[in-house]
Amino acid sequence: MERVKTGIKGLDDMLAGGFLAETANLVEGAPGTGKTTLGMQFIYNGITQFNEPGLIMTFEEFPQQYYRDAETFGWDFRGLEQADKLRVIMTSPEVGKSDLERVGGRIEAMAREIGARRILVDSLSHFERLSDDPVVLRGVLFGFINALKREGLTSVLTRESLALIGENSSAEEEIAFVADSYLMLRYVEIESAIRKALLVLKLRGSDHAKDIRQFEVTPSGIEVRSKFEGREGIMSGSPHRMAESFIEAFVRR
Amino acid sequence: MAAMGSNDLAARLMGDMAPQLLEFLKTRVNSFIKWDLVRFFHENPNTTDTAENIARYAGRDVAIIEGELDELVGAGVLERQRIGDLQVYSLVADVEMRSLVEQFIRACDDRQFRVKAIYHIIRGMR
Repeated sequence: MERVKTGIKGLDDMLAGGFLAETANLVEGAPGTGKTTLGMQFIYNGITQFNEPGLIMTFEEFPQQYYRDAETFGWDFRGLEQADKLRVIMTSPEVGKSDLERVGGRIEAMAREIGARRILVDSLSHFERLSDDPVVLRGVLFGFINALKREGLTSVLTRESLALIGENSSAEEEIAFVADSYLMLRYVEIESAIRKALLVLKLRGSDHAKDIRQFEVTPSGIEVRSKFEGREGIMSGSPHRMAESFIEAFVRR
Repeated sequence: MAAMGSNDLAARLMGDMAPQLLEFLKTRVNSFIKWDLVRFFHENPNTTDTAENIARYAGRDVAIIEGELDELVGAGVLERQRIGDLQVYSLVADVEMRSLVEQFIRACDDRQFRVKAIYHIIRGMR
């Protein structure tokens, strides 16, 4: 089965080699957890390590912001655009979706022009203004994702989580059913410090790591490190040591 | 006589710019809103979107933006098309026009040029 490597240290290992080709991969997390950075790194590594040109479709941040953010990691996004390896497209969900639905649309033309194999869509949360009805929204997202797959693109789709620490509301889970994989990024408080956790909750059609791992945003991008040892309740945002939970469960009555 | 002389001098000074950029200013980017929009599309060359969303990106009222977008379409700087039931605008693909837009925006980095551009836009509004 063809894998699309992210090239992100530690992440491809969690994904049993990478995303499956032409799949839609949801990356969800609170503001500042690194969703966009992960997506940008997926695109950058695709171009520079695997010769796979990419697109970035943004619905809110201007391309200038991506160029600036990429520069902080030493990624020359402007240069990649000039070399016809990357296109940063600012549009709106309704126009992006409608454009992909028609034959010979601009996005399709851009993808073919540069031979794009990857796309970052930042973020799916903006589709929510198209409908309050979760059933309708799911249909909209399904159509949009299918259009990306039709173009042969492996996508990273970011989505904002409202909860800074702790669980999502159930309303956010609709999108998880539509995507082929679901990566959760979370803030975790441990001993009065905030760390970041990554979990591969779902990877349709493939095995994947089941453990929750720490990750950091380093000067050269995201690096996934080891799993959290000896603690439970990581995804709640406030983990406790396993010994404490044993005591809670079996000693204190 | 002296006033006419100083007006002529001002006109000559303000007209002292590359002919293609002077023509661009006088016939295409002839308002401050159009200047904003040309800059926006230069910085976002792959943007295709509705007037409402472009107004939002530019921080302007859509009622003001819409007419200016249509005039830029008429001037050959932008193109307008229908996608489904949406009317959308994007920068023309024409290499020459994109090059002219690039030249204009680069020239705007120079304060002297900006002063001249403002002069021509205001004169054109009279």
